[in-house]
Amino acid sequence: MDIKYMLEIFPQFLSVIPITILIVVLSAVFGLLLSIPVAAIRIRRIPVLSQLMGAYISFTRSTPILLQLFLFFFGLPVLLQLIGFDITNIGAITAAVVCLIFFNGAYMSEVLRPAYLAIDKGQHEAAESLGYTPFQKMKGIVIPQMAPIALPGLGNAMIHLIHDSSLVFAIGVVDVMGLATIMSGDTFGMKQVEVFLTVALIYWGISMVSEQIIRLLERRKKRVLRKTGYELKEEEAGYSV
Amino acid sequence: MFDIMTVFESFVEILKVVPKTLLLALIILVLSFTLGAMITYIQSLNIPVVRQVIGVLQSFLRGTPNVVLLYLVYYSLPLVLAWFLGLFNVTFDPTSLNSTAIVIVTFSICYSVFQSEIIRGALHSLDKDQIEAAQSLGYSTTQVLRKVIIPQVMVEALPDTMNAFLIIIKALSLAFLVTVVDIFAQARLVGAQSFSYLEAFVAAAFVYWGICVLLTYVIDKLENRMRRGYA
Repeated sequence: MDIKYMLEIFPQFLSVIPITILIVVLSAVFGLLLSIPVAAIRIRRIPVLSQLMGAYISFTRSTPILLQLFLFFFGLPVLLQLIGFDITNIGAITAAVVCLIFFNGAYMSEVLRPAYLAIDKGQHEAAESLGYTPFQKMKGIVIPQMAPIALPGLGNAMIHLIHDSSLVFAIGVVDVMGLATIMSGDTFGMKQVEVFLTVALIYWGISMVSEQIIRLLERRKKRVLRKTGYELKEEEAGYSV
Repeated sequence: MFDIMTVFESFVEILKVVPKTLLLALIILVLSFTLGAMITYIQSLNIPVVRQVIGVLQSFLRGTPNVVLLYLVYYSLPLVLAWFLGLFNVTFDPTSLNSTAIVIVTFSICYSVFQSEIIRGALHSLDKDQIEAAQSLGYSTTQVLRKVIIPQVMVEALPDTMNAFLIIIKALSLAFLVTVVDIFAQARLVGAQSFSYLEAFVAAAFVYWGICVLLTYVIDKLENRMRRGYA
């Protein structure tokens, strides 16, 4: 063990952390945006689309994210060519972000759907009888109640996303993990343990920080929930697909 | 550019490694379940320092991605083993460690934490009165475990455990990094042979999808059947 070496390489990792964060934030935001229509289609049970979305969710859940990354990396250019764009090679970061958005759209829609369904029907009816427009109903009644229920799931999705983003090095993105693989080659196979231990600590740190942020939001959620009287269920064990 | 026939050929090639992948996943599941049960037991004892150490370990394992852990174990386990065996004057060549063993060790440790949480949740669902009733009827500890606790906890833990099985199958796709050939690694090899990566990956996706759909169906049936017995 060479702790001095670990401290030496740490600043180098700091310079690539923004890439990891960029990928995570972009995929989280756009994944959430994508998940809203997916969840809406599933809730409304729109005939053909609903089945399609079901297949889409089942697909993303049952194939490894690594495989999906490669599928997008090799498949996106082919797809784009079919539509008429002639791009033989897309950037690795683009492919990674598109893939993670695709993956998260399905994942988060499965968080949003139960949260929406948990809201009492009476709430909808009350809002409608008071003459709320659908948009007003969403903004004033549905979302404020949905948010606290969906938060733990979304937080879980976030932690998963951080972990999944470590796989994008496989298609050639130089993020934290990518730099680590390059570095472990540079040291002629001597200091790999130190390199990967540093990376592990960095990811641990990132996960801890995001967990704290989620906790903070959850504390607020509990305060909100106490007002509405919604019964909080025991948190689901650990993790889901 | 995209050839359906190649997809089919790759599909057949990839099917050959499915049994191996499933077996690997099963070994990891059993090992992680055993480890998880041990962790749950040790935590229930509430020994001051040990509890904190396990807590930190759990947080570490949950906070780091599998790839990083896999690489970490891949590079450090042979050294640790050589050092450890050196204490007993056994010479051990660090390079002789099989990478399949490394994959098994890594994922067993990784998922033991999640398994321990599943087991704890299942134990929580068990009514304490039942154990007391069994004890008052003069059951021995093993009898209580065998006849009261395990049958009920198993039903409770089954869905999550099988979920973990599917997760392990998918996580094994990382094994290609340390040259273990599973479904995903096979797809890469097949793709490299014919320069048709996309077709091979599409075939692999269908293999994974098929496995998951099939297993989910079987588990649902099994769970229904088990629940009927103890409803």
